[in-house]
Amino acid sequence: MSGPGGPTVPGLRITGEKRSRGLAAPRGRPAARAGAPGMPVLPSGQAVERYLAEVTARLPGPAKAHSGIVAELRSGLLDAMDGYLSAGLPPAEAVVAAIREFGDPGLVAGGFLPEIAASHARRVAIVLLISGPLVGLLWLATAVTSHPAIRIAVFWQWTTLPASLGAGVQLVAVAVALTASAGAVGIIVTGRLSRQLPARPRCAPLAAAIAAFGAVGADGLGLLLLTAELAAAPAGLSPLPAGAAAAASAARLLLAKRAAYRCLAMRASLTASATSA
Amino acid sequence: MMCSVAWLHMRAETLKGHLDGILLAVLEPDPLHGYAIMEALRVRSGGQVDLPTGTVYPALHRLERAGLVAAIWSQAGGRRRRVYTLTPAGRRALDTERGTWRDFSAVVSALLRPVPLAVNPS
Repeated sequence: MSGPGGPTVPGLRITGEKRSRGLAAPRGRPAARAGAPGMPVLPSGQAVERYLAEVTARLPGPAKAHSGIVAELRSGLLDAMDGYLSAGLPPAEAVVAAIREFGDPGLVAGGFLPEIAASHARRVAIVLLISGPLVGLLWLATAVTSHPAIRIAVFWQWTTLPASLGAGVQLVAVAVALTASAGAVGIIVTGRLSRQLPARPRCAPLAAAIAAFGAVGADGLGLLLLTAELAAAPAGLSPLPAGAAAAASAARLLLAKRAAYRCLAMRASLTASATSA
Repeated sequence: MMCSVAWLHMRAETLKGHLDGILLAVLEPDPLHGYAIMEALRVRSGGQVDLPTGTVYPALHRLERAGLVAAIWSQAGGRRRRVYTLTPAGRRALDTERGTWRDFSAVVSALLRPVPLAVNPS
């Protein structure tokens, strides 16, 4: 396998002009693009780190979440640099050539966006689909240990419930169905089947956001119904399962709400990068 | 020169659609890390393929999520690298990709072949 610095490599166009201009560029310039005129010549490690920082700055979420991507790109950049060094370039030019070869930080980050969005959406959908039945079991326990009017809800005889409670339980069922189906879509389009499906990258975060909003609705309604029951007939409720269900639903609601907004933000950045590309 | 610019553009676009299959083919003989994959792409294409190296990594991650390649971190020569291996599903996908390309290119070749001008019978 030949080194990357071989004469056949296009991409390798370093001119003295760019280098001297680069030296004149102020160091703190954040917008220095790899390969663009004015790329500052820094000590090689620093130049690589700056490039990596420019990539991570364009990725959604905290930089820590992308440490794997950064480590992989870093080792690749150092490999590329080694290739240019062994082809005879001085270190300062080798690092510029390696960075130029990797391409614009926006382009690289844009490539990772659908991947990050898909794995985040998948995680959200999986957590929702697992936590849903668990929280549901707590509500079920609450219902069967509480007074008959609530117990009836378990047996899907909503029409015999007091009107407000019956309607509330039906709404919960709709929200649960929404979460289950959107969550399933989110998992399917991000999994092994993803190559066979014509799904667009923006579909996964949308499905996960819908699933998360469904969970917010289901948990919120559950808490609302519980509050209403507490106000109407507090003696009929068994406190232990009701408390556990309320706590679990409240925690799930907050997490789901955050996940939903995060998924929507990722979808928006996917849209932005698709239109700018 | 206009012609060569158009050709370069077309090549980049065509390549994009087949990047998955190309990456799988490069990984077929041996597991490789990201930069070695890029080098293999250059060598096997005789220097004709020159994607921005940074764009190969997201493509590899996509293949990993689809279960077509598996990745492990390995330490060699004081540098940690993520090494990609073709999975059985990846081999099957590569076979499919090869078949599809063979059929497609056969059809396009047939269509692009110059037809001798027919003599008007009337």
